[in-house]
Amino acid sequence: MVMRNRAAWLPWALPAIVLVTVFFVAPFLLNVRFAFSSWTSFRAEITWNGLENVRTLIDQDLLANAVTVTVLYAILCMAIQNTVSLSLALALQRTNRLNTIFRSAFFLPTLISPLAAGYIWRGLLAPDGAVNSFLGIEWAWLGEPSTALVTVAFIDAWKWSGLITLVYIAGLNSIPKSLLESATVDGAGPWTRFRRVVFPMLAPALTFNVAVTLVGALSAYDVIAATTGGGPGDHTRALNVVMRQQWGQGFFGSASALGFTVTLLVIATAVPLVWWLRRREVTG
Amino acid sequence: MRAILKYTALTLFAIPWVLVPVWLVVVNSFKPAGEAAELGLGLPRTWAVAENYGIVLDRGGYLTGLLNSLKVTVPIVVAVVLLGAAAAWAFGRSRSRWLQAAYFVMGLSILLPPSIIPTVYLLRALSLDGGSLGYVLTMTGCRLGIVIFLATGFVRAFPPDLENAAAIDGASRPQVFFRILLPLLRPVLFVGGVILIINVWNDFFFALFLLQGSANATLPLSLFQFASGTLQSLNWNLVFAHVLLTTLPLVAVYVVAQKRVLAGLTEGSLKG
Repeated sequence: MVMRNRAAWLPWALPAIVLVTVFFVAPFLLNVRFAFSSWTSFRAEITWNGLENVRTLIDQDLLANAVTVTVLYAILCMAIQNTVSLSLALALQRTNRLNTIFRSAFFLPTLISPLAAGYIWRGLLAPDGAVNSFLGIEWAWLGEPSTALVTVAFIDAWKWSGLITLVYIAGLNSIPKSLLESATVDGAGPWTRFRRVVFPMLAPALTFNVAVTLVGALSAYDVIAATTGGGPGDHTRALNVVMRQQWGQGFFGSASALGFTVTLLVIATAVPLVWWLRRREVTG
Repeated sequence: MRAILKYTALTLFAIPWVLVPVWLVVVNSFKPAGEAAELGLGLPRTWAVAENYGIVLDRGGYLTGLLNSLKVTVPIVVAVVLLGAAAAWAFGRSRSRWLQAAYFVMGLSILLPPSIIPTVYLLRALSLDGGSLGYVLTMTGCRLGIVIFLATGFVRAFPPDLENAAAIDGASRPQVFFRILLPLLRPVLFVGGVILIINVWNDFFFALFLLQGSANATLPLSLFQFASGTLQSLNWNLVFAHVLLTTLPLVAVYVVAQKRVLAGLTEGSLKG
């Protein structure tokens, strides 16, 4: 029969395969070459230069700081986002009218572009803005080295929390009710039920969300561009911010090296997480 | 009693989390520049609605941005959903090793960040740089992975009996695809499509590198250019008016689709 003919499947997948290969895989492979090549706006020729780009970035004190800022940013973002989203999901798990209204309301920030989110919070957190006047203090949240990074990470987390909340609600709803009921019969209180039943059963959703938020935040750019532009000093200058600056100055090879560093960080984060998830599936 | 406590806490949280940010944008977009510079939450002492929105529409490049955003978002979403569903059908049903290897690569494309600088190089080599076609092709290539991944899981969860029966009855493959497979995949494609619309509409990073000149600028780009034009002291009233107009189309889409999006996401239609 036609449907069993193997070769006949190829045309259905081919357009997608071609698009992904040309516009995702090919740039990915080219990046490995460009990261180790001399390529600037002053000399169009692209020639292999080994670790020269990396050395230049280190000499200019750009690389180590950017990696530290990016990793810290990703961890802060992940922590804030998952704490808020899991708490909201636990409160809004049951589907009823009131909860649906709240879910909709908390989803709203997800519709706002990260760039716009940056402008909105830059306004709210201005030294004479609404947040400070409520707290009765005057503090440049985005201008002070001690709070700039955590504030930008908070804005990023704010923007995505609505979506992550829904993934947690789906995870909570997939826990069999019988399991919770038998735990109650056995005398487990709400906290014990959460710790012994809900939390372990929520592991797949948790792993997924932690991975997605970490990997997403490693590529941070938009919120930073709208709020601090990398400042004060270099306190929020993440890898992609430096990449854009290098690109703008015509150092295309160095910019590629910075992009490649983001890729390496993502691989270093994602591989152990996926491996752990796979192992859980096998043993669990 | 506990319910009252819970909803009081939720409301108290929702005020600074959702209500105040939205209110700040709306109310300050109605104020004249000097008053908006105070960034207060009070009602305008002088209303400047027509002036502000007039300037954004006129100088802020809003209408061009809106048109450009539509011009790229529609083709990307249609291409990703249709090509993604077709590929998911093949990946879900075929046992060919080559296709399974290709499926693995699609999975990698979800996780790994796109390499933006070589993309610019590539588009230049293909004479596609700066314009919307190159942007559409790139975004399609980078966003297909997630839809394919979700839809393939969905295809595999269904036995192929229905498709086989239709084939025996003489239906051609395209007929089976459009009449049986697409309706079957509708829940997952719907949720995936809405997330994709949000993602593409709000994209700034790709647009910044791939779209040149204000003639091609999408809404996030035009917002950035508009805000950066006065970087020393933002004209908050105008920036917020632009933010509001940029977000409004998505809010409209969401209001129409929210029931199915929320239900789809929370009841796990993504799991197949």
